[in-house]
Amino acid sequence: MAKHETPLLDQLESGPWPSFVSDMKQEAAARAKNEKNVEYQIPQDVVEDLLGVLELSYADGTTHWKHGGIVGVFGYGGGVIGRYCDQPETFPGVAHFHTMRVAQPAGKFYKTDYLKKLCDLWGFRGSGLTNMHGSTGDIILLGTTTPQLEEIFYELTHNFNQDLGGSGSNLRTPADCIGQARCEYACYDTQDLCHTLTEEYQDELHRPAFPYKFKFKFDGCPNCCVASIARSDMSFIGTWKDDIRIDQDAVKGYVNGDFPPNAGAHAGRDWGPFDIQKEVIDLCPTECMRYEDGKLEINNKECTRCMHCINVMPRALRPGKETGCSILVGAKAPILDGAQMGSLLVPFVEVNKEDGYAAIKEVIEAIWDWWMEEGKNRERLGELMKRQGFQRLLEVTGIKPVAQHVQEPRTNPYIFWKEDEVEGGWDRDINEFRKTHLR
Amino acid sequence: MAFISSGYNPDKPMENRITDIGPQHFEQFYPEVIKKNKGKWLYHEILKPGVLVHVAESGDEVYTVRVGGARFMSVTLIREICEIADKHCDGHLRFTTRNNIEFMVDSKDKLDPLVKDLESRKFDGGSFKFPVGGTGAGITNIIHTQGWIHCHTPATDASGTVKATLDEVFSDFQDMRMPAHLRISMACCLNMCGAVHCSDIAILGYHRKPPIVDHAYLDKMCEVPLAIAACPTAALKPSKVELEDGKTVNSIAIKRERCMFCGNCYTMCPSLPLADKEGDGIVLMVGGKVSNRISAPKFSKVVVAFIPNEMPRWPTMTKKIQDIIEAYAADARKYERLGEWAERIGWERFFDKCGLEFTHHLIDDFRDPAYYTWRQTSNFKF
Amino acid sequence: MELEEAKEKIVEVLTKKAKTKSKFYFNDLSKILDLKPREAKKLVTKLIETEVLEYWSSGSTTMYGLKGMGKQASAEHED
Repeated sequence: MAKHETPLLDQLESGPWPSFVSDMKQEAAARAKNEKNVEYQIPQDVVEDLLGVLELSYADGTTHWKHGGIVGVFGYGGGVIGRYCDQPETFPGVAHFHTMRVAQPAGKFYKTDYLKKLCDLWGFRGSGLTNMHGSTGDIILLGTTTPQLEEIFYELTHNFNQDLGGSGSNLRTPADCIGQARCEYACYDTQDLCHTLTEEYQDELHRPAFPYKFKFKFDGCPNCCVASIARSDMSFIGTWKDDIRIDQDAVKGYVNGDFPPNAGAHAGRDWGPFDIQKEVIDLCPTECMRYEDGKLEINNKECTRCMHCINVMPRALRPGKETGCSILVGAKAPILDGAQMGSLLVPFVEVNKEDGYAAIKEVIEAIWDWWMEEGKNRERLGELMKRQGFQRLLEVTGIKPVAQHVQEPRTNPYIFWKEDEVEGGWDRDINEFRKTHLR
Repeated sequence: MAFISSGYNPDKPMENRITDIGPQHFEQFYPEVIKKNKGKWLYHEILKPGVLVHVAESGDEVYTVRVGGARFMSVTLIREICEIADKHCDGHLRFTTRNNIEFMVDSKDKLDPLVKDLESRKFDGGSFKFPVGGTGAGITNIIHTQGWIHCHTPATDASGTVKATLDEVFSDFQDMRMPAHLRISMACCLNMCGAVHCSDIAILGYHRKPPIVDHAYLDKMCEVPLAIAACPTAALKPSKVELEDGKTVNSIAIKRERCMFCGNCYTMCPSLPLADKEGDGIVLMVGGKVSNRISAPKFSKVVVAFIPNEMPRWPTMTKKIQDIIEAYAADARKYERLGEWAERIGWERFFDKCGLEFTHHLIDDFRDPAYYTWRQTSNFKF
Repeated sequence: MELEEAKEKIVEVLTKKAKTKSKFYFNDLSKILDLKPREAKKLVTKLIETEVLEYWSSGSTTMYGLKGMGKQASAEHED
């Protein structure tokens, strides 16, 4: 018998999509049964009480959680989010229900021995409920009590060789796309860059000294599967400088209908036979392609690398060989002054594993120095850029302004000239002036 | 339940402390075929919804089966995922950015048994545990936030709205009939800890009532200057309030018309709760994208200002989402994302075609950028 | 700056302000120390490790306070 009746939640068990309610119920039952005789370190009926409090929210349309800011592991300013239930007497199992963020491996590949061990730990010392994964990318362990936080951290670091992720005013756990591990579009090794920088900046990740949160995300190509351009303070997007590689025979294959366009992504509807003119050439945003006499030509100099033609004909077209990444900075969600997309700061930088990504680190650290000194409390990098201007960003990073930095030049002429930019400076002699201009 | 120590000594927290070790190294988790062919993949193809093949220069192939799942999952379910990976995939698996799970095998003959196994597993309540799909020009998993399961400022539930929506659009999770990818995302309040602001369709929880001030307790529970500093619109100021018993206490006054309902003050001060059954509900935003393909990345735009919370299945919300999807599917050109379609036909036409009402709430009035969203040409459609 | 001096300065200012608020941003601390952020961080980290200061996190933002001070502890049932 369930501890709490859940008539509203029960209605979310039907339908084809995996039901989180059914999953919670199976976890509640597994804990009640406790086949392996686990000495549970938090209440055995924690999941039943979570079902109970969630049912209450479904009935009264409001949350029953309160925030807690003190709890954490010693010496770290992030990685734990404190939660308390506002109905602790009815649902004592979830009175304290803190979250732990565990740093996920780059690319989110796992071996089952690791995951099973993590499950054992979390069933024993926590609720047995997780998010795989949180929005930023961490493994989220949902729900444990205050005394267990240090115990879990001790076990993770000593027995799993595993650290927590970030929260608060620090570097958040960086995240990447699948990259070269299994994607032919990836222009650099997103996993290696993500992992290397995560390790390099552990202090920034655990000990908050920034004005606000800071995110790195790594996309292997301009398709941006990890959405770096929209949600990371620094977005590293794979790109290339040379020519798109063309296999003319494969182009013919697509034209002849031997291969499905867009890697079969449109197979659910009859769109008619593939028409290279209509589907590739005419959709090219820079109009830099043509298909004549059975041959595809690309004027690569005019290409802006949007990926459309490559996406449509992956067997025929590949990114160039001179690859690296563009760095865009300042993206954020709307709170507070409106959403900001990342702005292009570094059009191209080599992603050089051999020298430990020195060129990339140089940009990162110059930006941090600026933001740490000039950023107001709770001001994201993008907001500081808005307040002090893109020109200031170029100054502090020592990057030369190029036309690629703008969508269009300014529409007002109100240039704040600096004195040293103007011939002869600003100090003038009034007497000289008066020789030719009477009072 | 007896307390079992991990070895940690609370009296000496720094003793034997290990810190700053970061995540596991990714390489140890790669399947053999991935390790061998990393950086040398030639092309890929979606064989059927949810099933991909990637072919390497070496001629090696890796077959991937993508399955949807609630990102909120139990260790019992993760153990079952592990059992499947042990049985079919030499103990390897991965998760995607959109909370799908991917099982990989290195030859085609291993594919069918894996797919059959995944499709055969159901929860006691009847739903699939591992529905295969989420590829190509279809609707993949909805990324989402915590909602009522674990957050202190949500205006709706996340897992419930997502389950309700995905049940309704499930056939499109397992199909690829859309003009292009269609990405739905869910965030349960305007702080958007799940960044939904660049999604084809965004489901957003929204509060509409300023916090209640618990005057009698506020000064005992909270530090007034901290709560005031937490407000992004400077709507709070200190005040003295006379309680019913005649006692005067320090508290906070709210300039209600300035409140944007973000809940940041509640995070700092539990005496300023803002959740409310009638006040809270859903905003729908559409037309965003993150890819640079054909057109630049775009922000989503608000097209439905408010839908009440209708637990447990939010029927008004899912109906409006379906109407938008069907209008898009019927009218957009191949490769055209929802936002590109709306811009091509014009937003005035978008509202017609989707059967959505345009109200004053949808005209931007928030700070400088609002001006640039008003129509500044004589070109429009009747 | 030596750790002892940093501790004195921070404890003095934070104690003086304790009546109105107990939590401060990192920037407030580096201003008290009159140091660049990176220098200030080294000392602040030491003060956390020696349990003079403690963190308080809103989830998105982190603040610092003298250990055990302020109203949060009782409001959060962690006293």
